[in-house]
Amino acid sequence: MNASPGHAPVKSIMPKWVRNPQEFVGGIALMAIAVFALWASSDLQGMRGFSFGAGTAPRMFGFLLLGLGALITVVGVVTEGPHLAKYHWRGPFFVTIAILTFAFTIRSMGMIFAAMAAFLIAACGSPETRWTETLIVAVCLTAFCALLFPYALGLPLQLLPTFMIR
Amino acid sequence: MGDIFSNLGLGFGVVFQFVQWTPAFLGGASIPIPVNILLCLIGALVGTLVGVLPGIGTIATVAMLLPITFGLPPVGALIMLAGIYYGAQYGGSTTSILVNIPGEAGSVVTALDGFQMAKRGRAGPALAIAAIGSFFAGCVATVLIALLGAPLTKIALAFGPAEYFSLMVLGLIFAVVLAKGSVLKAIAMIVMGLLLSMVGSDIETGASRMAFNIPELADGLGFATLAMGLFGFAEIIRNLDAGGETDRKLVQEKVSGLMPTRQDLKETTPAILRGTVLGSILGILPGGGAVIASFAAYTLEKKVAKDPSRFGHGEIRGVAAPESANNAAAQTSFIPLLTLGIPPNAVMALMVGAMTIHGIVPGPQVMQKQPELVWGMIASMWVGNLMLLIINLPLVGIWVRLLRVPYRLMFPSIVVFCCIGIYSVNNAPTDVMIAGAFGLIGYWLIKHDFEPAPLLLGMVLGPLMEENLRRALLISRGDWSVFLTRPLSAVLMAIAAALLILAVLPSLRKKRDEVFVESEN
Repeated sequence: MNASPGHAPVKSIMPKWVRNPQEFVGGIALMAIAVFALWASSDLQGMRGFSFGAGTAPRMFGFLLLGLGALITVVGVVTEGPHLAKYHWRGPFFVTIAILTFAFTIRSMGMIFAAMAAFLIAACGSPETRWTETLIVAVCLTAFCALLFPYALGLPLQLLPTFMIR
Repeated sequence: MGDIFSNLGLGFGVVFQFVQWTPAFLGGASIPIPVNILLCLIGALVGTLVGVLPGIGTIATVAMLLPITFGLPPVGALIMLAGIYYGAQYGGSTTSILVNIPGEAGSVVTALDGFQMAKRGRAGPALAIAAIGSFFAGCVATVLIALLGAPLTKIALAFGPAEYFSLMVLGLIFAVVLAKGSVLKAIAMIVMGLLLSMVGSDIETGASRMAFNIPELADGLGFATLAMGLFGFAEIIRNLDAGGETDRKLVQEKVSGLMPTRQDLKETTPAILRGTVLGSILGILPGGGAVIASFAAYTLEKKVAKDPSRFGHGEIRGVAAPESANNAAAQTSFIPLLTLGIPPNAVMALMVGAMTIHGIVPGPQVMQKQPELVWGMIASMWVGNLMLLIINLPLVGIWVRLLRVPYRLMFPSIVVFCCIGIYSVNNAPTDVMIAGAFGLIGYWLIKHDFEPAPLLLGMVLGPLMEENLRRALLISRGDWSVFLTRPLSAVLMAIAAALLILAVLPSLRKKRDEVFVESEN
């Protein structure tokens, strides 16, 4: 297990009175989400007489989440609990890049390119990747998907890059 | 009684439907093919195939395979999805017996004794008993669905908006109480799901809510998108953390001698019966499902056993009971979905998503207006179970080989497959990015011990809850006491409140944790 570089400082940031950092940070994050949702729905109409406006329900659940987040934060202070879990950057980073690459190339470059690229980038996410076998599997999987989705399942997917079709 | 038989008859009629296939190369001759049976078979096979892959749970499997049913007619698609679902369940138990890596929470318990049996060269009987128990439980559950379907639908039709709202509250509370981990955190996850479901246009006024003028968000967050992000991508990222290969010790002995001995059968029969009953009950409860059923069944078996110390060391009853229970629960959890239109757990929530994509809104109306759809699906469950029993035992060899596929090759394949699947829902690249974002959110949630399953449930129930809440309050002219003055609603609310109080009480919480912890040690 290689400790991620950002790990050590995270531990020391937490003051001593936070005895359950996992809950504490989780609760604060939930409160942040709730505040964000409340802000995002602040332009919506509220109650009109006794009928709900568009913003009533989001605000209701927003405040509920705010309250729950606060409670979890309190739990994080008063109970004993595990330290923050370790985060590793490599897996999440490459998988995210792979997903983004797919999203940005699928329209213009077609499925074959997008799938290959996403596969190879995602493969960087594991230190155990061996490139020859990865390449072979990438080609096979792309071929399989190219047959499965458009032909066997009849989904409208563009296989080749746009410039090659025209 | 007559009703039930005619309903089941209708269902089997749909399942065994033949479609004349007239391919051009035969020059006008047509071949009758049983389309729905084939779809059921393919679903069960593919479901097992993906479910067997370690680290991919039932929810992720169903989410990943959703896109392959899009091109089908609704009946066929639902039958195939149901097939995928119990295929995935069965696949999960195969992995836990053979590699001690439960593919999903429901089969954690199966791994305890199943893997021990496998280590002693008794993997065959363990797998066989799991299949037989599941099949028996499946038969009972199918009959139960047929029995309860019609009367529950009648009750559901008498429900007003206030009752519906209270029922959903009860369902969510049940889901929280029966789940593992902190009650508070689970409620927070549900509320977050409810909030996420508000994104998009408001049903009544059409106002755009929290969409930030992003056109792809105008219709709301896609359900399949969210599920694949939270369960597909997040699981992959987390498994990468764990280092994938290190703890995979496959049973090296050849799986031989599938048949359980007479002694095995004698020992497991009562266990299977107990598991089936317990699982059926826990499945029908809103919020129940396969996970709690298998944990509870294992605990019960340990309690009734003369010699509890044998559990955890390869006791065959420790495989039979939870496997029967989780299959029974998996199927009876269709009851609230089909009759009331309320998904009791995350997998059923996915089913709602799938049905909506096909233009079906589950609930009492579907039962009346499209009986062939509902009964066809119910009948297909039984057929699907039979198929699993027949195809899985001979195919164990193939599943074992699949387990040897290293994770370093598997995870990029899953990433690509999920990407294409999400993209094909709406042909929208933005959906893929949203799923990616939810993958990271899901990873963060797992790291902070938040369960993503309640979030999914809240997400699906959100629009329903809001609509019924609004209607109830409109009818009562803004009077909130309507939920307590209408007798049925009041009863439901009272049960919900009592449950919540019980769950927070230290003594019961200890008991609840015991069920989960005890079976893990």
